[in-house]
Amino acid sequence: MSNFRPLLEVRGLSAAWDGVPVLQEVTFDLAEGELLVLLGPNGSGKTTLLRCLAGLERPSEGTIRLGGEEISRRPPHQRGVVLMFQDPALFPHRSVYENIAYAPLLQHRPMSEVEEEVGRLVELLHLSGFEERSPDQLSGGELQRVALARTLAARPRLVLLDEPFASIDVELKAELRSEFREVLRASRTSAIHVTHDREEGLFLGDRVGLLFDGRLRPPADPSDVFGNPGTARSARFLGYNVLDGPGGTSAVLPSDLRVVPAGAPGVDATVLVAGPVGRENEVVLRTDDRQRLEMRLARSESVPRPGTRLRIGWERAVRLPPD
Amino acid sequence: MKARGEGIGFLLPVVAFIGLFALLPVALLFSNALLQVGGAGGFVAVLSATQNVRALENSLEQGALSAVLAVALGYPAGVFVGRYRFPGRSSLRSLLLIPFLLPSLVVVLGVLDLFGPNGVVSAAVPATAFFGRGIPAIIAANLFFNVPIVLLLTATGCEGASVELEETVATLGGTPVRAYREVWARPTWVGAAAGGLLTFLFSALSFAPPLLLCGPSSRCYTLEAQVYALDQTFLEPNSAAVLALAMVLLLLLPTAVYLGLVSRLRTNPGRRRASLRPVDWHAPSTWALALETMIVLAAEAALIVAVLYRTVAPTGRYGAGAAWTELFSASTTAHLGVSAVTALGNTLFFAVVAAAVALLLSIVSGYAVVRRPDRTVALGLLLFVPLLLSPVVLAFALASFWSPFLGTSSNVWTLVIVSQAILALPFALQSLEIPLAGLSANARDAARTLGASSFGAFLDADLPRVRDGLVTVGLFAFAFGLGEFTATNFLVPPQLTTLPVALYALSEVRLFPVADAAAGLLLLLSLAVFAVIAVGGRRVEL
Repeated sequence: MSNFRPLLEVRGLSAAWDGVPVLQEVTFDLAEGELLVLLGPNGSGKTTLLRCLAGLERPSEGTIRLGGEEISRRPPHQRGVVLMFQDPALFPHRSVYENIAYAPLLQHRPMSEVEEEVGRLVELLHLSGFEERSPDQLSGGELQRVALARTLAARPRLVLLDEPFASIDVELKAELRSEFREVLRASRTSAIHVTHDREEGLFLGDRVGLLFDGRLRPPADPSDVFGNPGTARSARFLGYNVLDGPGGTSAVLPSDLRVVPAGAPGVDATVLVAGPVGRENEVVLRTDDRQRLEMRLARSESVPRPGTRLRIGWERAVRLPPD
Repeated sequence: MKARGEGIGFLLPVVAFIGLFALLPVALLFSNALLQVGGAGGFVAVLSATQNVRALENSLEQGALSAVLAVALGYPAGVFVGRYRFPGRSSLRSLLLIPFLLPSLVVVLGVLDLFGPNGVVSAAVPATAFFGRGIPAIIAANLFFNVPIVLLLTATGCEGASVELEETVATLGGTPVRAYREVWARPTWVGAAAGGLLTFLFSALSFAPPLLLCGPSSRCYTLEAQVYALDQTFLEPNSAAVLALAMVLLLLLPTAVYLGLVSRLRTNPGRRRASLRPVDWHAPSTWALALETMIVLAAEAALIVAVLYRTVAPTGRYGAGAAWTELFSASTTAHLGVSAVTALGNTLFFAVVAAAVALLLSIVSGYAVVRRPDRTVALGLLLFVPLLLSPVVLAFALASFWSPFLGTSSNVWTLVIVSQAILALPFALQSLEIPLAGLSANARDAARTLGASSFGAFLDADLPRVRDGLVTVGLFAFAFGLGEFTATNFLVPPQLTTLPVALYALSEVRLFPVADAAAGLLLLLSLAVFAVIAVGGRRVEL
């Protein structure tokens, strides 16, 4: 990013549960208005990292600077960092309006300002008409919209999103994540979004960082992250096939695998299962040296039967360094 | 990743309260008494006294017999209400618990009204007069009070047994007996055993039943009654304190086992929502369970109806309803030293303030649990200290330790409130445990990151969600205070007489019709509290 002005500077952040490391020397920056996505599998430390940033957990080592101020020891309510959960965590005894107005009222803002702010967010997040409803009268998507409105009403310096779309239906998820991105951009809110959904992460992030076993790979542009998976583990997580060969380890996208004539460069494999997935056919194969491959074929191409022996080659491969 | 020692501060009010008003006075009472009687030798000598040995035997005998019979009567009914889904199940479950909320003296009067010399049942079936006097009457009173406890804990165990697991056993080819053995026998028997132990504790320490149901002699006295007699009648406070120490030591193991069993019931993963099955009316066993439940309910209803009937029925020189007039008459005032209205006022005052104290402690404890769930066990043990201390021991220790600081006897009201609050705490808090366990940490954390302080987040995100539990805690503590007799009787001077103490005084001089009116008044108040608890769909838990 050009003109990179760090709002958040995290340096050497480590945390452990009962002596088991959960975060290991995590270091990254976040610019004003930037949406950073941290991608990682379950148990990689994503939630713990967010909880440390929000002040809900205390890291064992490291510093967190927000707007140049060290905030590691500051209690959660004095950080200006709001965490949004997968479960919207709305107050069930308060109406939609009261949920959104919660933080402005805590901040003792004038009532006219609170009303104006809530009205603006209700409008922005398409919640008009829902103001007096209680959370148990809302759908999953509406609940998350209210949670985001409540978050933005606090005028946070930083928003942390902990897999907020994980329990949303597939058809609504795409719509909601576009909406969230738009709203965060429009309000120039800095945010860190953690998810295990690679498509979501690569779509949303201005930059993306990969988190495995509590270690964060330096965040980069999504296309760079995807184009240079770096390690076999990252490559697998990003959807690549990882092939070990005499020349080293390579990462190949399923769409780059091709059936090639016998004797052509490639590997011999047996079809395990094959069938249509969306507009393509997916073929799962096992190579003779027991490596699993996924291949995408156009719907116009014939689908091989399970047990069929094929020679598989590829057009492009990313060379991976040895583990 | 929490800092060591974080959050100790909010525990201090609870620790200070239990420490200052229970642990410290009791520890000083015991240590001082041991010194006075000459240490271990004196301890053995007190325990060897004939009266004390008999009290110990009575405690064990009455406790064991009551526990076994309460389990026998409470288990089937507990299985019925805890296992099956049927219209009115929740109301039935609540109704069956009513006797536990009744003042012990009302239950004792109820036994006399049913089976005593002029009892409603014994008049019709003379053979039942067997239950109107002596050990059988004491056991009957203990059962009225304790069968609901066994029933409730058995039902709790049953409600926690997984329906899915039982269905899995069936689909794998297991018979209903196999499903019972594999899935729901264990939790129900854990509940029944916990109920049996609590029955043992309550019955071994029962106070009012041996005093009123066994004639003027002390032959049926339990240890609790004997401690009271040694201190108040025979003026041997050191012997009383030493016997109280022996009593606490004796009850240490059953109390610990009870707490262990209850914690096993609470940790059952299925507990938050009752796992119920549809009733199979084709099975004879279902009919048997339903019938037994109805018998328990009918017995409880009979006791309540008998007490209410006695308050209006003509008895001896009293015409219909005259006992009520007599209760508020000048002669009763002269006898009690205060009017019945004053006694009622004292009762309500003590109960309301004690409930407020218990509620406040519950809120602080709830906050402690929410902040540091890992300290729940330690806090639980602290709050269960009162379970180990019988009302007489607590009152005795409070009076010994705090009286010198209070000045005039009029100030004893503070000790009455403290004792009632402490004694209600263990049971009041159980009603809060389930709602607390169901709280969402995310909602609290969201409030924190939105700008609320730690306590603010508790007030905003947690407290509204346990509001019903807190109302139950308050009402339960209030009901407990309404009927508390043992500690209050030990502590209060005449001008602070409460209705239960007045009821006892009237019974002692055989003014049973007037005592019945007082019991009726207490019963109506207790039923009103029960109605408020039940109408809100709230539950008292043990």
